[in-house]
Amino acid sequence: MTESRDIVYRPRGRISGLRAGAHASRGIGTFGTFRDQVPFMAHPDARRIDVRGTLRDPFEATLVRRFQQRNAIDVYALVDMTRSLSYEGRARKQDLVAELCGALARSVIRSGDRFALIGFDSDIRPDCFIPPNRRLGSAVDVEALLRQAEWRGRDAKGLHDAARRLGGRRKIVFVVSDFLLPLDLLEAGCEALSQHDLIPVVIDDSSERSDLPDWGLLELTDLETLQRKVVFMRPALKRRWLAQEAERRAGIRRILLRFGRAPVLITDVIDVDLISRQLMEA
Amino acid sequence: MNLAVDRPWVLLALVLAMLPLMFSAHRETRVGSVSVVPADPLSTLIAWTLRGSAVAAIALVVAALAGPYRVGQIVSRAGEGAQVVILLDRSGSMNDTFAGRTPAGGEESKALATKRLLRDFVGRRPHDLFGVAAFSTSPMLVLPPTDHHDAVRAAIDASDRPGLDFTNMARGLGMALSMFAADHPDEHHAILLVSDGGAVIETHLQDQLRAEFRKFKADLFFLFLRTAGSRGMFDKPGPGEDTPRAMPERFLNLFFQTLGVPYRAFQAENPDQVADAIDQIDELERFPITYVERLPRRDLTGLAYALACVFTVVLVAGKLLEVRLVTGAGAAKAPVGATA
Repeated sequence: MTESRDIVYRPRGRISGLRAGAHASRGIGTFGTFRDQVPFMAHPDARRIDVRGTLRDPFEATLVRRFQQRNAIDVYALVDMTRSLSYEGRARKQDLVAELCGALARSVIRSGDRFALIGFDSDIRPDCFIPPNRRLGSAVDVEALLRQAEWRGRDAKGLHDAARRLGGRRKIVFVVSDFLLPLDLLEAGCEALSQHDLIPVVIDDSSERSDLPDWGLLELTDLETLQRKVVFMRPALKRRWLAQEAERRAGIRRILLRFGRAPVLITDVIDVDLISRQLMEA
Repeated sequence: MNLAVDRPWVLLALVLAMLPLMFSAHRETRVGSVSVVPADPLSTLIAWTLRGSAVAAIALVVAALAGPYRVGQIVSRAGEGAQVVILLDRSGSMNDTFAGRTPAGGEESKALATKRLLRDFVGRRPHDLFGVAAFSTSPMLVLPPTDHHDAVRAAIDASDRPGLDFTNMARGLGMALSMFAADHPDEHHAILLVSDGGAVIETHLQDQLRAEFRKFKADLFFLFLRTAGSRGMFDKPGPGEDTPRAMPERFLNLFFQTLGVPYRAFQAENPDQVADAIDQIDELERFPITYVERLPRRDLTGLAYALACVFTVVLVAGKLLEVRLVTGAGAAKAPVGATA
């Protein structure tokens, strides 16, 4: 919680909302950045009469300046609570998730938006649910809740249910997961979230790829299915493994790009600036 | 293979051999999903090899602890040749040379020469069954018919010990005949009688022997080691000498001819002639034979431990090849089932 810099995020396009906030909105009002001039009757706001414009107008109509409003948006974090997130490589993925959500909650609330957390595994996790709010203290709550939570899910089928909960106005939805899930499930989840601004966050660990040994016997256990697998590592297999992994990631990326943005990659540590940059580039 | 164990209750521990199917000796690396690993037949093969080796190692150790053995059994074998009983004269005169003297210098006694030549004879005929009997004052059963030629050669080796006085050939022949089985008409029997002197066989014994020879259908080869200067089997008797007491060899030969079985007599006066005689016998005796052998109980504990050791070496090799994805802080973990 010593991190003072904020994660910078921005919804795509213009949002619509009621509460004043930091994001460009479709709403036209009295505050914000200058948009256009209209006749007084179209926007009868005497405080914003454009005196120079009115004098210059050949038709002697009274002109009013209109401004683009800035509104607040709700930011939801959908957190994958399956057991595969308890993987420990360079770091524990669940700690990364907790830290990320804490930082995100703090940033969101400080920029005047509301933050909500929904945990899901094979269903929605009622113990990991924080409704949208703007309490600054809730960032601490989010992080504490996620640090104590049990990551025990066997599959991520609850993504769809969680997505269905987010009705109404457009929201920014961070889906935080390791994305080790079936592609059709991911696609269905993205479908359900398509009215929102989806930002996938892939929690990653370098030990899963760059640290693979060249030689030796690995005994792997699947955290979710508890399936065991012995792998005899050798350079050729390592190449095949990495190629297949790259292919899988490319497939996930293709799906995500179809529904919104390229995923934000988090590897080993939470680097706020790096996350912000990725969010801006996406 | 009829297998049995000394301590059957130990075999209850064979249940333990199922453990490797559930647990692994390797330290696991827990990953989010094993589906990221490409399909690899070699890895699968190695996995099953290790698993199978672990099962086999445990099962074999348990089996070894139970004290396995192969039960003694009766095996029927087939050979080519004949059942030959070598009947050796062990009377004192066999210790002399062919010249009738006590061996001195480079001379070899009759017993020693016979021994040397018989050893060759046994070695040349791998499929024969040889039995060895000896006689002097009374007959001695040295070795029942067997195809273990090492044992036969050892028995022949033992035949040049200094012998006793008398020559009781009739009882020796009886003993030799009794070593054959009378109820196997397909077997071919031969008796190789090696002797250096005639012996008188009583008349009532002669009748008995004839009956026995007919019953057992044994060919008889008589290898007569003639001492220089003594009477031969084929010498013409002088006047008044035609009695068994005076010319035992001649009468022995005549008696053998009346046995009603194939009979060859060889008279040898030096080692070369003995060798010729043995070659001829070698030519004659070639028949298919079947015989029965008793195999003793054989302990298999050592074998079980050796095999278990082989499988254990495989497991150790697997353990030495073990690597982990993450070393250091992330490596020490609580068991998987600790949550849930």
